[in-house]
This record gives sequence, C-alpha cells and structure tokens, in this order.
Amino acid sequence: MTLVMENVSKVYKDGPKEFKALDHASLEVKSGEFIAIIGPSGSGKSTMLSIAGALLAPTSGKVLLDGEDVAELSAQKITRQRLRKIGFVFQAANLIPYLKVEDQLQVINVIAKNKGESKSSELLKHFGLDHRTANYPSELSGGERQRVAIARALINDPKLILADEPTASLDSKRGREVVEMLADEIKNREKAGIMVTHDERVLDMCDRVVKIRDGRLKK
Amino acid sequence: MFLAIRELIYAKFRYVLISLIMVLIALLIFIISGLAQGLSADNASAIQHLQADYIVMDSDAELDMAKSSIPPEIKRKTAEMDGVDNVTPLSIRMMNASVNDTDQSTDIALFVTEADGMLMPSVNEGDTVKRDHGVIADASLKKEGVKIGDKLAFSEVSAYTVTGFTDNQRYSHTPVVYADGGESQDVNVLALKADETNIDDIKHELEGSYDVVTTKKALQGIPSYSQEQASLNMMITFMFVIAAFVLASFFYVITLQKRDQFGVLKALGAKTLYLIKNVVGQVVLITFLCTAIAGGLTMVTAVLLPEDMPFLLTVGEMLQTSILILVVSIVGSLVSLFQIVKIDPIEAIEGAGK
Repeated sequence: MTLVMENVSKVYKDGPKEFKALDHASLEVKSGEFIAIIGPSGSGKSTMLSIAGALLAPTSGKVLLDGEDVAELSAQKITRQRLRKIGFVFQAANLIPYLKVEDQLQVINVIAKNKGESKSSELLKHFGLDHRTANYPSELSGGERQRVAIARALINDPKLILADEPTASLDSKRGREVVEMLADEIKNREKAGIMVTHDERVLDMCDRVVKIRDGRLKK
Repeated sequence: MFLAIRELIYAKFRYVLISLIMVLIALLIFIISGLAQGLSADNASAIQHLQADYIVMDSDAELDMAKSSIPPEIKRKTAEMDGVDNVTPLSIRMMNASVNDTDQSTDIALFVTEADGMLMPSVNEGDTVKRDHGVIADASLKKEGVKIGDKLAFSEVSAYTVTGFTDNQRYSHTPVVYADGGESQDVNVLALKADETNIDDIKHELEGSYDVVTTKKALQGIPSYSQEQASLNMMITFMFVIAAFVLASFFYVITLQKRDQFGVLKALGAKTLYLIKNVVGQVVLITFLCTAIAGGLTMVTAVLLPEDMPFLLTVGEMLQTSILILVVSIVGSLVSLFQIVKIDPIEAIEGAGK
C-alpha cells in the first residue's frame, strides 16, 4: 500500500463550536491505482487531499505514506517526504510565473539537489511540450499548463500523485485529455493516484470513485 | 539563487525601478559622506595631522584652542612630568594677510610654533623655516596666487616670506601658515607627545586649570566643526534609514504578491531556508550592483564638482559605507523573511485549511 489513511478525523474549532471537516475517514491506495474523490464544495475533499499530501496533520487517526507513519516525522522530514514521495498537480496548474517550462521541472531538481536534467527534457518530450521549453506559463494554453504541472509532479519519480481539481480551468475536451494523461501515467509508471474533483465526466477513467459528504466517505 | 536570478530577469521592470532608487540613495550617501569628509578636512586637517598625541589647554577655553592661554611655567612643569616625550607650544591666530604689499589680501590661520619643533610640517616644495620671518604655507594658498618668496604682511608691522609649501594643513576653512615664534610667543596650547600609560597622571597633575585632551577631542573645539559634522552625519543616518525602509517595503509588498508561489513551492517540498536564501540573494545582488554603480557615479561626480568644493572620499571609506548599506538592506529584508516563514504550504490547495 502506498497510502493508508485509517480513521482520520480533522476537527476545526470555531469558538465554542466544533466543525468536523473530516470524520473517521479511511482510505487505501495501492500503486497503479487511480482514485477519484468527489463531493460538493465544503464536503472535506480538500482537507482529505491535504492530509494525504502531508500538508495538514489530522486531529486523530493514522496516515501511512509508503509504510511510514507521517505523524512521527519532524516538520523537516515531512517536507522531504513531500519532495521525494509525492507529486502534486494543483488547480489551475499553479506554475511559477517567472520560470520557463524547462525550469518549472528543473526547480524541483534544484530543490531536491538532483542531477536530472536529461530526465526533464525526456518528460517534456513525452508530454509533447518539447517545442515549448523556453516559454513562460503565461504563453501556454490551459491544457499545456496542466501538462507541465503533471510533468513537474512526475520529475522526482514519486510514489503518490495528488491532483487537486486538475480540470477546473479547462473545457471538457481538454479536461478529459489531462485526466487521461494522468490516468495513463499512474498506470504505466505504477504510481498511486488520488484526484479530487467535482467534474463527473472524467470519473470513468478512475479505478475507484469515493464520494465524500460532510466529512464522511462513502464507497 | 536559481529562483532569484530567473525572477529578476523575468520581472526586470520592477527591479530596475527599485534599483534606480537604490542607486540614487547610495549616491547621495556617498556624496554627503564625501562632503562631510571634505568639510572636516577643510576645517581641521591641520589638527587631524598634528604631530602630537595630546593637547594641553586652558580649562576656561572650553576646547577652543584659540581662546586658551598657557603661561611658560606650565610648559616647563609639563615637560618635566613622567612619560612626556615632547612638549611644543602652539599659538593660533586667525589673520588677514596682504600679499606682497598689494591690495590683495587673504585669510589665513597663523600657527606659531618652534621652527625645529615636532609640529612644523615637512615641506614638499621649497624650504623649511630656517630664518626669522620665513613661513611654510598650506598648498591651498597657491590658489590665491601666492608663490615661494612672496611676502605676507599682517595688519601689524610683522611681515613674513613664504619659504615652502606643505599639504593638508587647513584650519577653520582657511589655509594654515606656520611661523617660528621662538621662546617669547604667547602660547595658546601645548602639543604633547606622551606615553599612554602616564597620561592619567599628567591629567591629574594639571587638573583644575588645564585640560589634557586627545587631538581628536580637540577637533570638537574648532568653531563650527561639530555642528557641520553633526548635521551632515544626521543626513547620512537618515539616508541609511530611508534605504532600509524603501527596500523593506518593496520586498514586503513583492513577497505578499508572491504568497501563492511560495505556498506552491513549499508544498512541492522547498524548504523555507531555501526560499529565504533566494530573497536575501536578490537583496544582496541588487544592493551590491546599486552601490557599485553609485560608487562609479560618485567618482564621476567628484571630478565634476568645482575645485573649491571640499570633497574627500577614499576607496576605503567608500567600501566601509557600501558594506553598511548592504547590512542595512539585509536588515530591511527581515520583515519579508518573517512573511515567508509564516506562509503555510497548505495554501497551495484551494479551499483547504480554512
């Protein structure tokens, strides 16, 4: 199992009131498996993704990433785990505006102190971006930006890919293409994938769909 | 520096604008420092270069050397004290001299001391004072048309002949003329060369009527010296504060603007320290380039300034000032760094962590 979430709850305190963003949620994702989490806004799916991505610590419950209990790691180690084991694809791609396409990937190598320049050009070629390497994000189409984001998520060869509404800023055709690409990479490269979305048109490409409502998961 | 340099190149315009402001501020700091040094030298280089460690003066004079008066017995008494290597009398008179009995007159500071004493500066043109009524003049007097062999006559009967020129001898914004006074002169102050370990005893023995001060301290008593320096130094200090605030607010606003990006980078696994290094790198790079450009412009300005404008700035002082500007800039960027530390990577996920 690449990711195991066991009875994970997240409670926010708002004065005397308590708000359960996540209520005893359990989820397992193995490599090669692509899971979609769907639910209306405010249902807790972003919280779910944040906890899965070690960006947020749960109030209770256990999160095992690649067999390691995240709760036992120091903040520095968690940052390193994110860098080495998790690839993020954010909503609207969230590329760094002042980096050219090749540098969007290269920056991960710099942060991780990798020497993987050849790999980044290989990835860009794989995603059909080799003619765009010297362009800034503002010069790309929405689909191209998401492809760069997927390439960036893969550069470090992570075990887990987390996608936060990857189709949000795309029309349905481009959205399908992006999710298809994501699904293919997860299958072919043996990654575990979780995608948070409310776009029901792309669910057929996922192995499993988990519904979330008021912080509770329904399979 | 991977991110720092790429961002500088991408957002050229805003960084060129801030750099322009920094160049102007650094230039102003350099120019005012140059003026402060120049005025200081113009007012007091004769005392700054005085071949003595301490000055003995009348307590009632309140550090104004020209107002002090030392009777001969104090000179004798001081000369006999332990640790005193040399005592030389000096009197200072602000005079108006007419050149070669013509109508042309010029202001000078007449320093009367012993012809073979330690205070007599070395000449770099002409002869030392050997005979009576020979004087050594500061080279700035040449601008008034005074040459070696010219006669300087004062309001009294006394007239002197210029035998040589020396450098860096100005007092109260006028050129200094050194003359031999022999033993009989009225003495304003005593210049002292003495052992540092004995100086407290010497001070103690003269206590009450006479003060023993370092030559540096004696500068404060030169009319308008401290006022000039204080006002210019206040301007320089203000410029440093302004530089810090300009950079601080610029980088603060830029950092706020880049919140999302910092959040994304942190979520992707960038350490806070790495992001901080990039911002500090930008500050250091910009400040370094700006002070270098300002330094170059200062040198050009120094050449263009009118010759009688007192301006003095050595490379060493410029380097010192540059380092100070750099330190001030880094201090100014601290607010932005706190901002970066506070950014939570969860901000990269839309709608989470609220």
